Amino acid sequence: MPHDHHHEEHEALIIEDEAGNIEAQIIVDALQEVLISKGLLTAHEVTAAIAKLESPGIHLGAKVVAKAWTDPAYKQRLLQDGRAAVQELDIPVTEARIIVVENTPVRHNLITCTLCSCYPRSILGQPPSWYISKAYRARSVREPRRVLAEFGLDLPMEVQLDVHDSNADMRYLVLPEPPTDLASYGSAGLEAMISRDHLIGVARRVG
Amino acid sequence: MTRFCEGDLVRVLALGKAGHVRIPHYVRQRTGEVVGYCGTYLNPEDLAVGITGGKAVDLYRVAFAQPTLWPDEVHAAHDRLIIEIYDPWLAPLSETSNAP
Amino acid sequence: MTEDKGPRGYHDVGGDTAGEIPKVELPWLHWEKKVEAIRGLLGDGTRRIVSLDEVRRGFESFGIEKYNALSFYRRRLEAMTDILVEKGVLSRQELDAAVASGRARWRETSGSE
Repeated sequence: MPHDHHHEEHEALIIEDEAGNIEAQIIVDALQEVLISKGLLTAHEVTAAIAKLESPGIHLGAKVVAKAWTDPAYKQRLLQDGRAAVQELDIPVTEARIIVVENTPVRHNLITCTLCSCYPRSILGQPPSWYISKAYRARSVREPRRVLAEFGLDLPMEVQLDVHDSNADMRYLVLPEPPTDLASYGSAGLEAMISRDHLIGVARRVG
Repeated sequence: MTRFCEGDLVRVLALGKAGHVRIPHYVRQRTGEVVGYCGTYLNPEDLAVGITGGKAVDLYRVAFAQPTLWPDEVHAAHDRLIIEIYDPWLAPLSETSNAP
Repeated sequence: MTEDKGPRGYHDVGGDTAGEIPKVELPWLHWEKKVEAIRGLLGDGTRRIVSLDEVRRGFESFGIEKYNALSFYRRRLEAMTDILVEKGVLSRQELDAAVASGRARWRETSGSE
């Protein structure tokens, strides 16, 4: 029997207004207060946990990519065991495993999480709002080439497109192709060229 | 010794479970190819109801041909969708009836 | 061809049709970070009070209207409190009382804008 489900053609991203944000702040502070009163956590732990959440970011993903481009042995280790290789750079990783998927002249990779918003947060920080949107989650698996075109990337049909749905315990990072003039840059220059869109797969060319 | 190896053709079962499962609807009853083994993990279906002592299950990466999953959309013949499927949701293709 | 694929959660949207992807960049607010921080602490090795899969079950169970009406982090906050109440870690009354005092303090301290 076919399952009837709700289609929304133009689903807006739900954003809290000012009153909603104040309300949410009051609720989470109240929750914290109750948990502290029960001895389940301390304010200090919450502050430290927030600081830890704030420290990862795209700069860490860029560091990993730039190193993979300039150190072929590191790149092999990264493709073999992403978590261990990322940790080699003193980047703490909380996800069980990190799988790094490599772009080549004949392959492009795109990451998504159709069920919620799984993303390698301990390396890259929080995902962009569009990644969490229903529109991206719904369409990234069904019509990824059209989704890429919406991001300005027209992928030739000769290039194979692999879409990775991070539905379980793995988390993914795209290793983009290096710029053609790789040797002209130092690591800082390379890192500056690598964006969040490259690491998720909605952008392809670097530099 | 895991049940499946890379290259095996498998079908994703529709186990009919309500509640928290991590196998999206769009791959159920579809046929794919095992392209990787991820190791063993606690079953999210157990974790969702607070069972932390359950048996860990094998997790595989399975690839599906996009033109077969979505015949009405534009895909290159070689495009793939790769997703993680827990062992209880998989059956070898030979054991199931023919289906795309 | 139709085959029974079993129950489908409203969060299970892969393959649905949808409109343009909203490209707005949103800041990550303090309260949102606090939701994640608390969830992580409650799920850590020393506590194991609520897991990520329990939080997911929480927002997958609140009904499609609530799911569609709440922002992402607000869903996480609501789901986490639902699971904590379900598990008897705290009561709805305790939480409501703390929220009510919080609201009263906010009203006292916020001046006119």
